[in-house]
Amino acid sequence: MTESSPHRTGPPSRPLTGLGWGTVAIGLIALVALTLPTVALLERTLDARPSLADERTRETLVEALRLSLVTSVVALAVIVAFGTPVAWMLARYRLPAHRLLDALIDLPIILPPAVAGIALLAAFGRRGLLGDELEALGITIGFSTAAVVIAQVFVGAPFYIRTARTGFGRIDGGLEEAAADLGASPLRTFWRVVLPLTRSSLAAGAVLAWARALGEFGATIMFAGNRPGVTQTMPLAIYERFLAGDLPTALLLSTVLLGSSALLLVVVRMLGEPGAPR
Amino acid sequence: MPRIKSLAIFALIMTLASFGLPAAPATAVGLDCPPTAAATTASPAAGSIPDAVAFPDEDVELTVFAAASLTDAYAEIADAIEAAHPNVFVTVETAGSQTLVTQLTEGAEADVLATANTRTMEQARNEGLIDGDAVLFTANRLVIVTPQDDPAGIAGIDDLAQDDIRLVVAGEEVPAGRYARQAICAWVGDDADALARIGDNVVSEEVDVRSVLAKVQLGEADAGIVYASDAAAAEIAGTPVRIVEFPDDVTTAAAYPIAPVAGGNTEAARAFIAFVMSDEGQDILDHYGFTPVS
Repeated sequence: MTESSPHRTGPPSRPLTGLGWGTVAIGLIALVALTLPTVALLERTLDARPSLADERTRETLVEALRLSLVTSVVALAVIVAFGTPVAWMLARYRLPAHRLLDALIDLPIILPPAVAGIALLAAFGRRGLLGDELEALGITIGFSTAAVVIAQVFVGAPFYIRTARTGFGRIDGGLEEAAADLGASPLRTFWRVVLPLTRSSLAAGAVLAWARALGEFGATIMFAGNRPGVTQTMPLAIYERFLAGDLPTALLLSTVLLGSSALLLVVVRMLGEPGAPR
Repeated sequence: MPRIKSLAIFALIMTLASFGLPAAPATAVGLDCPPTAAATTASPAAGSIPDAVAFPDEDVELTVFAAASLTDAYAEIADAIEAAHPNVFVTVETAGSQTLVTQLTEGAEADVLATANTRTMEQARNEGLIDGDAVLFTANRLVIVTPQDDPAGIAGIDDLAQDDIRLVVAGEEVPAGRYARQAICAWVGDDADALARIGDNVVSEEVDVRSVLAKVQLGEADAGIVYASDAAAAEIAGTPVRIVEFPDDVTTAAAYPIAPVAGGNTEAARAFIAFVMSDEGQDILDHYGFTPVS
């Protein structure tokens, strides 16, 4: 998601040629294959008639949804607060081992969730790299809501940093120099010149990171455990209900999470619209 | 910065809205005692040998759905069968017992089903997923496990009620989690205070019993409740855990039933079951910490 998102202006409509029809045929098959699971999920949920009258179902849904929203928003705040300076640094300064640093920050994007879970345990687990230091400070991260947030920050941050870095990189350095020449402090320059020019990059990166945090599953279940109201986020609750053979509730939770993600998508679209307030 | 501001406002609204969700009654932090196991209507017979016991002569591909706790033992049983019968190819798929039954309901194809409790097997039977009757082929018992260095000093079940123990159990719908709750509840009896204290110590309800074991092996948890077979598997894998037995008067035995799956290769399935019941099969199960059926 960058400023040049393809949905800004629709493609011109042109008559279909022979190749066009072939493309359309393949496209339609792919379209059906890609949308079928979502449609089937909704159909099956309606079919299963999950009932919110069931107290257990309601409790699971409310606790997991609340925990998911709270943790993902906290994770997002952490990501923006720490990710913005990192992105700025990567875009503006030539650091030693710049490319390596760049790659390391991107790594969680391609890291399989199970690897992320093990890596987090290795770092923050009780017997992990920082285990003794944290224990000495009286901090235990495992099985706490903090562990959920850490997992979400870990997997979500690269999406924000990457997008923000690209946005910062596109700004003409001359503008900053001009602002400095006119007597603006670096902070004021950043706030009044850089931010207004990159806000849609930052917002798009933030939404991506948020969506990733909201959906985080693998690392959470390995690193944070599974306790309703404490570490059991929506994806964990879905998995737990599925394993328990409670398909109706698993379907209901999935549909709710699908709805939340769709809402995020709508927000991204709105942010990307040319007519959106600047 | 209207865009960023609107996103921030949206995030804030979502968060605040989540608190406006219909207040769920605060979940009792703790353990719910499951109703004591109702005698299953048709309890599988222990150790009755199935009729057909020989594998067919032609090539056979046999798919076995087995409870997660059987993972290692069944892998070795499969190897032993394949070594003795070059025409037989055994695939063992393991998952939680409930998941196996769900998968079969959803149309997964298998020839043999082995679950970790009679409840899920009964459910499979009621849904017409198995062919004929199930037999009990082994038993397992619960144990308390701690990391090797026992950081919390767990000498017995009463230590689980100490302050600030990080106890991990399986979820209440996982057979191992259900047995663990039954054992704790049987031990505390009417002492609601002890039950509450143990409940407060539960830091995670894992989705399967092997995850409980992993949390203890990692040292993330001070104690966990798993099967003796899981503790044996940890030992065999080279990452042993310390075992603390439940008191003798707390029953923690879990019975494992096995049955041919309806619509599968029932002849080969019965031969597989016969091997599991044989001395050789029972020896393998014994090696992996299971209790042979009498």
